[in-house]
Amino acid sequence: MAGMRRRLSSIGAVVAIALLAVAGMSASAGTLSPGDQKCLACHGSAGMVKPLGDGEALSLHIPGDTFAKTVHYILGCAGCHSDIDLAKHPADAPSIASKRAFSIARTQVCAGCHSDIFSQWKHSVHAALVAEGNPIAPICTSCHSPHAVIKGAAEAMDTVPCKACHGDIFTAYSGSVHGVLRSAGVTQAPLCFGCHGAHDVKVPTADEGMKGVCLGCHKDAIAAHQAWLPNAQLHFEVVSCPVCHAPKAHRTVDLVLYNITAHKDASRPLGVPEFESPTGTDAGHSGLDPATLFNLLKSLNRPGVASKTSIKGRLDVSTGVEAHQLMPASAAISDCTTCHREGANAFQSVTISVAGPSGIPIRYGVNKNVLSSVISIDSIGGFYAIGGTRIRFFDVLLVLALLVGFGGPILHLTVRWGYKRYHKRMQQDEKER
Amino acid sequence: MRRIYVHQLPVRMWHWINAVGCVLLVLTGIQIRYVDKIDVVPFRTAVIVHSWIGWVVVANFFLWLLFYLFSDNIKVYHPELNPVQLFRGSLRQAIYYGYGIFKGAPNPFHMSKYRKFNPLQSLTYQIVMLLLLPIQIVTGILLWDLSRFSKVVALLGGVRVVDTAHVLTFIVFVAYIPFHAYLATLGRTTLEHYKAMFTGYEEVDDEEGVDETG
Repeated sequence: MAGMRRRLSSIGAVVAIALLAVAGMSASAGTLSPGDQKCLACHGSAGMVKPLGDGEALSLHIPGDTFAKTVHYILGCAGCHSDIDLAKHPADAPSIASKRAFSIARTQVCAGCHSDIFSQWKHSVHAALVAEGNPIAPICTSCHSPHAVIKGAAEAMDTVPCKACHGDIFTAYSGSVHGVLRSAGVTQAPLCFGCHGAHDVKVPTADEGMKGVCLGCHKDAIAAHQAWLPNAQLHFEVVSCPVCHAPKAHRTVDLVLYNITAHKDASRPLGVPEFESPTGTDAGHSGLDPATLFNLLKSLNRPGVASKTSIKGRLDVSTGVEAHQLMPASAAISDCTTCHREGANAFQSVTISVAGPSGIPIRYGVNKNVLSSVISIDSIGGFYAIGGTRIRFFDVLLVLALLVGFGGPILHLTVRWGYKRYHKRMQQDEKER
Repeated sequence: MRRIYVHQLPVRMWHWINAVGCVLLVLTGIQIRYVDKIDVVPFRTAVIVHSWIGWVVVANFFLWLLFYLFSDNIKVYHPELNPVQLFRGSLRQAIYYGYGIFKGAPNPFHMSKYRKFNPLQSLTYQIVMLLLLPIQIVTGILLWDLSRFSKVVALLGGVRVVDTAHVLTFIVFVAYIPFHAYLATLGRTTLEHYKAMFTGYEEVDDEEGVDETG
């Protein structure tokens, strides 16, 4: 068996795993095979490190008792390290540039067995960030400690790996209706992966956001809202769930530059000063004013340009942390005037999104006056909230209409009355004469 | 003086339902649009009432349309196609309202069954009934359920464009309704035309009330 293992580096990983699995079967559960124990003779020693190309050191210490408890112990060391030729090891150990480079390269080993999951991850925002060179975007080993993979660990509140990077969000989640129920043992209440998926994690603010996920569990939500909320379907389309169900959250209007012809978000327009920054600007930034936005749309849709661009609008909460501060339905906002009034909190912050690399939207600040300017009728035709984003110029027209409608008759009546009196007096004067 | 029957029952019914409906639509519309300034009725209630009354006005519009389409009374809405006649008639009526009426001059317009609107009225009602009210009905229905009509709304330029058309027409109605109510008091007596819109009969001089075209 040992002789066979020495040759495995040149055979496919799948064959190796299958053979090792058979070998492992002979050992009792939790007991490492003689081969693995041979590896641990060296790698079981604390402090064993390998110097890396970037000057850091990679720990090569594998605690045997911990590994024996993992789901992978049955595969043994060679299950994943089939590239090691024991005849030449450690003399021919390859040089490693950095921990990150090594971990990224090792994802292919995981893919050997977990091809479905790896494929899901490849299409996730995490993989897109890795491809962009993001140094902390998670790969397999970021969430699943390679030599301590315990079944179910990623599904428990205490050990869910997402919180390692998304600590603020996890804290907000823990205090939410979902987090509280999950902590109390209600497994139907979603943990991170329940809404975002474990491996096919998408950008939560892209397209229609997480609405479909919410409705996946809350199947009667649309009917329940239609029972009391006028234009309920429209609210579902343009208002994200946390806008009302995270009542303390700050809200923001995200206008999306949308390519109607290609049916996808438009990319960053070039040559427009407000879009100079490739990473976007904050919502609070003064940003695009109504005239600039009007001219931008006019320029993007100038004659001769095949693809046409429009602006879609969506009301969302300002941050990912606030999106997780979900409260029980009884605490949700149900007062329409929270948004449908002039000066509403919801319309004080405005951004415009364009498609960034790998589909991650980039937000740029927009002057909030675009929502109430008469210039914006055409440029942001796709977003309007009664009362909240009403056009101020029409308020002036309404006052004029009231003046004409009531003032005109009053003036006419007054002149008639004056004439009548004048006429009477003239007649009286004539009689007296 | 004699009485002529000019306002048929369906017209009278349509008129008063339309009048009450439009006033309520304007009032609930103001409440919906200016909830931060006026708080008489809760926003949600105003929206629901506005929608229901809207449907009543839509149905009522079709009562008016069908009555006129299937009766010879449609002649009252025939437009004056001669621009000189239209201009002269309108100017004469405008001079009467703007000057002659103060001096007690007689109304230059003489009513008959098939000619019950003076030139200014005729022009105004054609604009109101064949342009403004249909715009308000179409935009109102689109705004009533934007999701259901999303394709049409997108074709028209989006919800903001549709709402702008609805609001601008609403503003015109805000000016028109009180003006219309006031002009209706300018008969021989203040309530003459109001009574006629209940009874159907208008009072005319003996030599009036005969249609030139029959």
